[in-house]
Amino acid sequence: MEGKNILEMKGIEIQFPGVKALDGVDFSLRAGEVHALLGENGAGKSTLIKCLTGVHHMDAGKIILDGKEIKPTTPQAAMDMGISTVFQEVNLCPNLSVAENIFVGRQPMKHHQIDWKAINRRASELMERFNVDIDVTRPLSHYSTAIQQMVAIARAVDVEAKVLILDEPTSSLDENEVKRLFAVVRDLQAQGLGIIFITHFLDQVFEISNRITVLRNGHLVGVYDIKDITKLELVTQMIGKDMNEIFNMKRVEVKEGAKVLVKADHIGTPGKVEDISFEIKEGELIGFAGLLGSGRTETAEMLFCVDKPTKGTIQMHGAPLNAKIPLDAINSRMAFCPEDRKRDGIIGDLSIRENIALAVQAKRGFMHPMSRKEQDELANKYIKLLAIATPDAEKKIGELSGGNQQKVILARWMATEPNLLILDEPTRGIDVGAKAEIQRLMIKMCEEGMSIIFISSELDEIIRCSGRILVMRDGKKAAEVPGATCTQADILSIIAGEKKGGATA
Amino acid sequence: MKFSKERILKSKLTWAVIAEALILLVCFCIRPDFFSISYQPSTGMLYGSLIDIVNRSAEITIIAMGMTLVIALGGTDLSVGALVAVAGALALKLLRWDVNEYPTPGDYSVQPFILVLLVPLVVCLLMGLFNGTLIAKFGMQPIIATLVLMVAGRGIAQITTDGKQFTTLFSPFRFIGQGSFLFLPMPIIITIVVVAGVAIFTRKTAFGMFVESVGVNRSASRVSGLRSDRIILIVYALTGLLSGISGLIYSSRISSCDSNNAGLNYEMDAILAVVIGGTNMSGGKFSLAGTVVGSLIIRTIVTFVYYFGVTAESTMAFKAMIIAVVIVLQSEPVRNMMAKRAKSKQNAVRGGVHA
Repeated sequence: MEGKNILEMKGIEIQFPGVKALDGVDFSLRAGEVHALLGENGAGKSTLIKCLTGVHHMDAGKIILDGKEIKPTTPQAAMDMGISTVFQEVNLCPNLSVAENIFVGRQPMKHHQIDWKAINRRASELMERFNVDIDVTRPLSHYSTAIQQMVAIARAVDVEAKVLILDEPTSSLDENEVKRLFAVVRDLQAQGLGIIFITHFLDQVFEISNRITVLRNGHLVGVYDIKDITKLELVTQMIGKDMNEIFNMKRVEVKEGAKVLVKADHIGTPGKVEDISFEIKEGELIGFAGLLGSGRTETAEMLFCVDKPTKGTIQMHGAPLNAKIPLDAINSRMAFCPEDRKRDGIIGDLSIRENIALAVQAKRGFMHPMSRKEQDELANKYIKLLAIATPDAEKKIGELSGGNQQKVILARWMATEPNLLILDEPTRGIDVGAKAEIQRLMIKMCEEGMSIIFISSELDEIIRCSGRILVMRDGKKAAEVPGATCTQADILSIIAGEKKGGATA
Repeated sequence: MKFSKERILKSKLTWAVIAEALILLVCFCIRPDFFSISYQPSTGMLYGSLIDIVNRSAEITIIAMGMTLVIALGGTDLSVGALVAVAGALALKLLRWDVNEYPTPGDYSVQPFILVLLVPLVVCLLMGLFNGTLIAKFGMQPIIATLVLMVAGRGIAQITTDGKQFTTLFSPFRFIGQGSFLFLPMPIIITIVVVAGVAIFTRKTAFGMFVESVGVNRSASRVSGLRSDRIILIVYALTGLLSGISGLIYSSRISSCDSNNAGLNYEMDAILAVVIGGTNMSGGKFSLAGTVVGSLIIRTIVTFVYYFGVTAESTMAFKAMIIAVVIVLQSEPVRNMMAKRAKSKQNAVRGGVHA
C-alpha cells in the first residue's frame, strides 16, 4: 500500500523542565496506512502525539499536513485541520447520551434549533457501522468501557478526519471487541485515512499495522516495514536490551505446608457476582482470569470492601474478617491496586510523595502524621526501588506517564506492608519493559511471603506468573486450573463455556 | 522545593500580596497618614487604619478559614452568613432573657455568661454537622445542602428574637468585639488564635492532606483507606463553629443582634477571600495564608472606597471593579505571561553574557 505522505513531522524537539522529551524526531504517515508508534513509557510517544494535536508546543521542527505546514495550537485547532485523537482513557461525558457525546460541539441544526432527530439517526448509523447495536439515546455511563471506547472512535472519525490517532484504544477491550475495532480500522484505512496506532500489545501491532516507528528516550530508533522485522527484534529495538533476558522468570509455586491466609466462602453481591469461593495460601500467587464483567474485579472489590459482599463469609488466618470499609481491609493487611487508575487510584493534584504516603497515613489516622522527613524517605525509597521516572518526589502524579502512575500506586500499597496484595490489571497500558519489571516484582514479593491476587486480561502473563488460576464466567467460578500445565487455549475454552475445567475446588 | 523566580511569579499568593500592596500604596498616596499607628492610653489600644483593616476583617477571616477547607473538598458553604445571625440572636436572647419585662438594656446577663458563649457555638457546630450530613451521607450537592440553612438560619434567628432587635450593655460580652488585649483589639487576637488553630490542625496533622485528597478524588481516597464521609463532616462542622465565633464577634461589636443584616453576604466575601487566596474552586490544594491575604484585600478595598470619598450608593460598584481587577491579575493567562516575561528577561541577560 504505497500511498503518498499525508503527514510529515520533521526534526521535532520538545524541551520539558530538566528533560529533553523529544530530540529531533522524524515521523511520516501515508494515506491509507496504519502506522504503529512504539516505545517504552517515557520514550516520547505521547509527547509526539500531544505535539501533533496542539497540546504541547514544539521548540523546534516542522509539521506538514497535506503538503502545507501547520502549527496546531489547541486540540480543537488540530481537529479542525483534520487530526482526530482517541485517548487511552475515554474522554467523554458519561452523563450525556451516546448520540450527544458523538455530536457535542457540532450539533446539526435546523431552524436555529438542535436537530435531535438527525443527531440520533446519524449516531445510530455510525454505531451500526461499528457493528455495535445500542440505544444511542441512553447515557454513555450505561455502557461498558469497551462500548464507550467505540463511541469515542465514532466521534473521532465522524469529523472530517485525515489523520486518526488511536492512543491505546484496545487496552480495555476483550478479544472480540478488539476484532470489531480492527474491522472498523481496516474500513477507515480503505477510505484513505492515515491512522497512527499506539499500543503495548505487540500481537495487535503485527496484526494490523503496515509500518512501525520506534522511539526510545525521546530519540527516533528507526522506521520499519512490518514485513521486515520480527517481534523479538522489535522489542529489542524498543528497550535496547535482549528480550529473553527480561522474561526469563520462574513461576510462583506455593511452598509445602503454607497456611491458608484468606478463605472466601460463597461470597456474592446481587447483579455482580453470584457465588464465589476460593482460598489463598501464604506466599501464593493466584491469577483471576475471565472476560470483562465476569466477576474478576467485583470479587476483588468485595474482598477489599470497596463493595461489601451481601452474602457469604471471608476468613483471614482462620478468623472471620469483619471489614466494612476499605480502611478495615487495610488494617487487616490487605492492599488493592484498582483497575481504573484514573478513578480509583491516583490523586491527580497531589505530589508523588503524598500519593505514596496516603495509605500508610490513612492506616495511622490523621492525628498521627508522618513527618515530612518520613514521607520523603518513603517516597524516595520507592522511587528508587520501582525506578519511577521523575525529577523529584514533588512532581504531581497527574503529570506522570501511565506506567509511572501505576508504579506510584503500587508503591502506595507496598508501603503498607500487606499480607495480601490484590493487583487488578496492574500491567494494563504499560510497556513490555515495565510489565516485566512489575511481574518480576510480584514474584519477588511472593517469595518473601506475600500473597498476591493477580487479575489480568492478558492470559499469557497470568499463565506465566500464577501458580493457580481461577477462571470466572458470568459471576461464577467456572474452574480452577494449575498455572504450570494449562495453556491459553484451555482457559479460553473454559471462558467460552466449552468444557468444565480440571481440578475444581 | 525550589523557589525559582518563575515559580514565585506563577503563584497566586504572590499576586494576592502584590495586589494588597498596590491598594495600600494608593491609600497611602491619598492619605499620607495612612500607615500611622497611635496609642490611646484611655482604652489601652493601638489605633490606625491598618489596625482597623485587620480588626474589621476578623469576621470574614475566621469564616474563610473554614471555607478554605470546604472549597478544598470541592464544595461551598452558603449557610455561614445565616449562622452568624443565628449565633448573635442566641447570644442576645440568653443575655436578655427578660427583654419583655425590662426593655432597657443594662450591664448584666440573665443566663450564666458561659452559656451565652457556649450555646451559640454548639448550635452553630450542630448546624454545620447538619450540612455535612446532607452532603456526606445523603450525597447532596454542597450548594443545595447549605442553601437549606442559608434560608432557614435567618428564620431561626428571627424566631429566637421574636423578630426584634435588642441591645445589651453587659461588659464581658462587649469585650469580645470591643475590648483589647496586648494593645490589640480583641477580634484581632481571636483571629490570630483561630488562624493558628486551623493551621496547626490541618498542617501539623495529616488532616490537610486528607482534605486535599478527598477534594481531588473522593473515590480513590476511599479505596486508599480514607474515611471520606468523616472528613467531610468534620470540615462542615468546623465551618459552622467558626461562623458561630464570627457571629459572637459581630454581635458584640454592635452590642446587639440583627437577624436580617448580621453576616449578610458573608458567604460571598468568604468564598471570594478563599479564591483570591489561590485555592481552586474545584477542590484540591489549599492555602490558609492566601485566604488571610484575600480577606485583608477585601477589607482594604472597603476602607479604600471610603477614603476615595465614594458615595454610599456606589460603594458596591466600586468594590466590584477593584475585585475584578485583582482577579484578572491573578488569572492563569496573566500569571503565565508575567512568568514567561521574567524567564525571557533572564535568558536575555544570560545570552548577553555568552555573547
